[in-house]
Amino acid sequence: MLARRVVIVGGGTAGWMTAAALTRLLPGRCAVHLVESEAIGIVGVGEATLPHIRAFNERLGIDEADFMAATRATFKLGIEFVDWGRIGDSYIHPFGTFGPGGAEVDFHQFWLRLKQQGIAVPDLDLFSMACTMGRMNRFALPSRDSRGLDSTFGYAYQFDATLYAPYLRRIAEEMGAKRTEGRIVTVHRDRETGDVTSVQLESGEKIEGDLFVDCSGFVSLLLDKTLGEPFEDWSKWLLNDRAAAMPCRTAGAVTPYTGVIAMPYGWRWRIPLQHRTGNGYVYSSQFLSDEDAAATLIAAVEGEPIAEPRVLRFKAGRRTRSWVRNCVGIGLASGFLEPLESTSIYLIQAAITALLELFPEKEISPVDRDEFNRLIDLEYDRIRDFLILHYHATERADTPYWDYVRTMQIPDTLAEKMELFRRRGRVVKYREGVFLDASWVAVYLGQRVIPQGHDLRADAPPAESLVAGMRNLAAEIQALAGAMEDHGAYLSRYCPMKDAA
Amino acid sequence: MRDVVVLGGGLLGWSAAAALRRKLPALRVTVIPLPPPPDALAERIGSTLPSIVAFHRDIGMSDGDALLRAHCSIRLGTEFEHWNEGLPSYVHTYDRYGQPLGTASFHIHWARQARLGSTPPFDHYSPAAAMARSGRFILPATDPASPFAHFEYGLALDLVAYPRMMRAYAQHLGAIERPGGFKGVRLDGETGFIAALVLDDGQEIEADLFVDCTGPRALLRGALDQDFEDWSRWLPCDRLLLADAAPVAEPSPLDRAIAHGAGWRWVAQSLGRTSHGFAYAASELSDDKAARTLRGHAGIDPQPPIALRQGRRPQPWLRNCVALGDAATMVEPLEWTNLHLAHSAIDRLVAMMPDRDCAAVELWDYNRQCAAETERVRDFLALHYAASHRDEGLWRRMRDTTPPASLAHTMRLFAERGRLPFYEDETFARDSWLAVLLGQGLIPRRIDPLIDAVPPAQSEQGMAAMREGIARLVPSLPTHADFLRNLQRQAAR
Repeated sequence: MLARRVVIVGGGTAGWMTAAALTRLLPGRCAVHLVESEAIGIVGVGEATLPHIRAFNERLGIDEADFMAATRATFKLGIEFVDWGRIGDSYIHPFGTFGPGGAEVDFHQFWLRLKQQGIAVPDLDLFSMACTMGRMNRFALPSRDSRGLDSTFGYAYQFDATLYAPYLRRIAEEMGAKRTEGRIVTVHRDRETGDVTSVQLESGEKIEGDLFVDCSGFVSLLLDKTLGEPFEDWSKWLLNDRAAAMPCRTAGAVTPYTGVIAMPYGWRWRIPLQHRTGNGYVYSSQFLSDEDAAATLIAAVEGEPIAEPRVLRFKAGRRTRSWVRNCVGIGLASGFLEPLESTSIYLIQAAITALLELFPEKEISPVDRDEFNRLIDLEYDRIRDFLILHYHATERADTPYWDYVRTMQIPDTLAEKMELFRRRGRVVKYREGVFLDASWVAVYLGQRVIPQGHDLRADAPPAESLVAGMRNLAAEIQALAGAMEDHGAYLSRYCPMKDAA
Repeated sequence: MRDVVVLGGGLLGWSAAAALRRKLPALRVTVIPLPPPPDALAERIGSTLPSIVAFHRDIGMSDGDALLRAHCSIRLGTEFEHWNEGLPSYVHTYDRYGQPLGTASFHIHWARQARLGSTPPFDHYSPAAAMARSGRFILPATDPASPFAHFEYGLALDLVAYPRMMRAYAQHLGAIERPGGFKGVRLDGETGFIAALVLDDGQEIEADLFVDCTGPRALLRGALDQDFEDWSRWLPCDRLLLADAAPVAEPSPLDRAIAHGAGWRWVAQSLGRTSHGFAYAASELSDDKAARTLRGHAGIDPQPPIALRQGRRPQPWLRNCVALGDAATMVEPLEWTNLHLAHSAIDRLVAMMPDRDCAAVELWDYNRQCAAETERVRDFLALHYAASHRDEGLWRRMRDTTPPASLAHTMRLFAERGRLPFYEDETFARDSWLAVLLGQGLIPRRIDPLIDAVPPAQSEQGMAAMREGIARLVPSLPTHADFLRNLQRQAAR
């Protein structure tokens, strides 16, 4: 079997994640050559991640503490949403279950039943390990013994994305990936087949390949500029097309969760790292000028700014196909969804996983290509609905922006899901998909989509025993979280960064 | 939701009533015990999938109840013979086939070894298949390191004793029996809902929800519409013959499904009888000839032929009427899914019980899940035909028919590189798909590069250890009959 020549165009997070995965997991099958230009720079705002990234790092043989120290990472147990349903509201979307999990009837159904009976019950947050630990600013790794409540949460990282790519670059280069610095000026294609044959740099150097991976970011050099793959525009549901990003010194707590604060014309992120806090205002240019966005952001951040606000432009949607001919788009080159639920790096990972599993021979089989595109579509479509939910499920009417999203027509697939939840708290079940039941429940209830009824099976146990059981559960969660170390203390023991910013 | 009426008094109607009472005790459940018609296959086919064991546990019934009080026995799988001429028979069990070596799943290693030369057939790596072929059985080991820890088993039902037990159990749980014959339904003029069910004594039975367990005729659900999606293009058998012969002393826990020029026939041994059946296409074989064929194997005359129209109602639940079992989906008994689909629909009905208004969006979700599930069952059955290799006209036609899109997708991906696509609501586990795909000779064209890290010699070493682990233990296991006798002895103590 001859090794395939894989050319990766672009060296940001997507490029180096791809390079590291291909060289580590398909040694001998491919020779990886990455082309990047330091002059272009990387977007690198995706600082908050989902728990799936742990499996990715593990597969690459990455030591967690070493990786966290190098990327100045903190732990992330979920996302706190502030001011979304109404101004003044706050809820945490946790990584993990409400209640012990694994039961035939979802925990929130019993909770709903008691509430609908007029019985006072504690907030749903208090039945989640991740929410409770987050609110108390505590952290410990989850237990591997699945019987205990201390196994019912997951975690991800908040890290400096500009440090993740170099970290992966070391791995990829050790495994034999070649890197060339330079700006691509021409893409050459085979006259007969239309496949890309090589990319040519400003220096005149030509880099040939069998398979090209487009990690060129928003530029989408191969998929868009070269192959003209159409873009499916989702901006009628996801209005935001700009982000102003600006790091600041950390003034508040280093929280084990990401902050997502609704703003008059979008939302603002707060991502605490070990050495600084990342901030950004994601907004719609239809409603807000770049200058006003930057001014709002500067006024809102908690600590002293470290840099000027930097404005990024984008559009929500995805390419109709991510794999066209012999070009696979990974990351922003194939599509964009705003980082509201930290899905950017997840989508890169999903594409890499699919590419590994469907890695082609010299002749690319349409079977592999079609399956890759089907899988990527599925990921995008499900995340899209989940994101739209955050905007649509609101009572906010303080600006024309919120009026629009509150009253807009949403996709049928989401309208059906919301109606099912409204009726009796049912979450449409997918066995696979990035956001599972608890995520949907957290957002629905956190944003005041309140069911009228509940699952009738939740009526079986007597109310008194349910109430007592819940009281014990909340107390046990409180005690477990209370016994854990402070998040900051855990970090400085487990994975202190090597040098200060 | 207060009142539920179940029309149909076979094992299905009573199973539905038992589950409803057990899980939703606030409901009043009345059963009109119409005797099931001969073409209700969920009532007629004694071979069941492992999901029946879960169903029993779910409604609070122990395995012992079914095995002892209802004279059930065990079934571990099915041996498929002559579906692909030139290949040996293969066994489909509900077990793991091999264990992963490194990071890649076992079947990739198997396919590579098969391509390099010779490795024993795929089913030699299923411990339950080895157990089944030798007529032995033990309950799954609790030690996860044992090769015999991961299989599941179905039951061979005694179709006289079992419905009796289920009726008694449902009544014990509070289901009410209301004897009577069925005359018709009265619809609400405004909503189109069923307002009442009219019995032959003139009595009207009102309810909030009507559950139709009357077989393919669908006496209730059929009164609302007759929409039907036909699957005969992919599942060609439209006739069924059944014959019960005397039991054998040592019933095998392994059913046999033997392909025939006009369809396929089966033999299923259980404690009380040996069941024979024959599914065939009327276009290929007359009923007389089919009856003679089956008599030749069973030694007795079969019962009158059953006409089979394979397909499903696109909306099993419409307004306040939900169809279960053959009233919703009708498929040939290949792979024994008839009662499984009915159980699964009961579980779903319990979990999704709506308010009296039976809101369209809730029914939509129910019907969507049913559709996803039945389509994949259809695909799995159709696979046996689509991946067959026999010379007769029927079989050649089946090979040339384009499979349903989702099955075509599965077969295409698998043939390319041994990958199985993920579908929601899949009845059969990946290993079941692999057992049939590889058993019928569909070997992937390429070997996945992800196993490059493990050299073939190392794969073979691990595979040999698996085979030896199975071979060493099988002879020490009790026979199926001994297992059942021990169980009876223990219960008598």
